[in-house]
Amino acid sequence: MQFSIKRTLFVKKLNDVQRAISSKTTIPILTGIKLALTDAGLMLTGSDADISIEAFISATDEKNELEIGSTGAIVLPARFFSEIVKKLPEDTMTLEVKDNFQTELRSGSASFTINGLDANNYPHLPSIDTEKQVVIDANVLKQLIAQTVIAVSTQESRPILTGVHLVLDNQELLAVATDSHRLSQRKLHLDIDKDIHYDVIIPGKSLLELSRTLSDDVETVEMRIAENQVLFVAGTISFYSRLLEGNYPETSRLIPSSSTTQVEFNAPQLLAAIERASLLSHASHNNVIKLTLDPAKDDVTIYGNSPDVGNVQETLTHSNLDGEQLEISFNPDYMKDALRSFGQTEIQVAFTSALRPFTLVPTEDQDHFVQLITPVRTF
Amino acid sequence: MEKQKLYDSFVQLEADAKRMLARIDEMQTDLMQVLERDAELEIENQHLRERLQEIQAAADKKSERPKTAAAPRLSKSRANLKKLYKAGFHVCNQMYGSRLDDDEPCAFCLDVIYGERR
Ligand SMILES: [Zn+2]
Repeated sequence: MQFSIKRTLFVKKLNDVQRAISSKTTIPILTGIKLALTDAGLMLTGSDADISIEAFISATDEKNELEIGSTGAIVLPARFFSEIVKKLPEDTMTLEVKDNFQTELRSGSASFTINGLDANNYPHLPSIDTEKQVVIDANVLKQLIAQTVIAVSTQESRPILTGVHLVLDNQELLAVATDSHRLSQRKLHLDIDKDIHYDVIIPGKSLLELSRTLSDDVETVEMRIAENQVLFVAGTISFYSRLLEGNYPETSRLIPSSSTTQVEFNAPQLLAAIERASLLSHASHNNVIKLTLDPAKDDVTIYGNSPDVGNVQETLTHSNLDGEQLEISFNPDYMKDALRSFGQTEIQVAFTSALRPFTLVPTEDQDHFVQLITPVRTF
Repeated sequence: MEKQKLYDSFVQLEADAKRMLARIDEMQTDLMQVLERDAELEIENQHLRERLQEIQAAADKKSERPKTAAAPRLSKSRANLKKLYKAGFHVCNQMYGSRLDDDEPCAFCLDVIYGERR
């Protein structure tokens, strides 16, 4: 195996693939990066067994300046290899695999020889052949990921809740995540075959990595799903993730269908007020803020207090306050995460009682995005 | 030699610390089990009390026709679940009987307590 390539481009592709490589892997060969060269081009692969990323460098794309001497494959220690490639002196570099997987890297007058591994021992990525393609706008997918992963559980004691539940049915994609304290649900309409139906749980970590892998020049992402794997194809990048096994708990019934008190806020304004109040609640043992809503007086006030430091009270700017009087206490951190996911927009908050979860939805489009927050257990 | 002694006692101390850590882990597991068992027993106890009340009530008014009680805000079993939840235990299907982490609330539990019957 021998080739030369434009170094800046190669570094970029190495970075993409390296996202999947973990130094903590228990499978030694996975600390390496696989290079497989065919006449069509060079395929780079990195994997930590949960996530695998492939990046393809085409031989026919002149920008890549890929000159193939001979085809073949090798696995090289990822960290050293990419550090070396980054520091090579010239714009072009050459890589050649010699006897016993010894690999020579040359650029200008610098020459490195590093020990490679037999690429035949590298695990095979699953082949995901399906005609049921699902194409999603890359920015919409990124937004969906950002809006849902905030609510996935970080606790391995309930592995199923560390994932985002994706259900695709009748051209509608429903994405839900909950750590049982709060829940986030996003709906998308997709112009795809009506017969495509999926029900899978993708690890939240995988989706975060996918989101980071999607560069700004990627316009659409194609999603393919097999038995226990999902594949996202974005431009020259293929991103594989394992799926979580098991049944995701029924969540639709957690979202209240009616409410007794409703109010509207500007999301960034409310966020700023919650951040102020949480300055004190964070200093306290239980990190709780209290919200009182009094429709008769058209008043909404938040309270935070720390026995050691002091207390805070702020009257909130709001509109369309309606329904019954209510006093409710919750963890401000959940509220902050939820509000950030709305961005610059007006939201409606709906309460059923002081004991039951309340919801936040965009005032304009109440159907496609909902955040649910569970109040603290004050009875 | 002084250094050898110092090293030896360091090794000894390390071994002690490791044993202690293992013991703490064990105790934590045991404690969790005791707490979960305690929750289960409490629920069981509530059920038995209810049953006893029913039997007594039935015995008291053998001849009377049972009155249809006005629907209470929470059924007895739900009120019991609410008590347990308040005491810091999950009552939802997924985590029934285990402790609520850091006293965090649980939406699944609230659904079991207040939600409409499935
Ligand atoms: Zn629960």
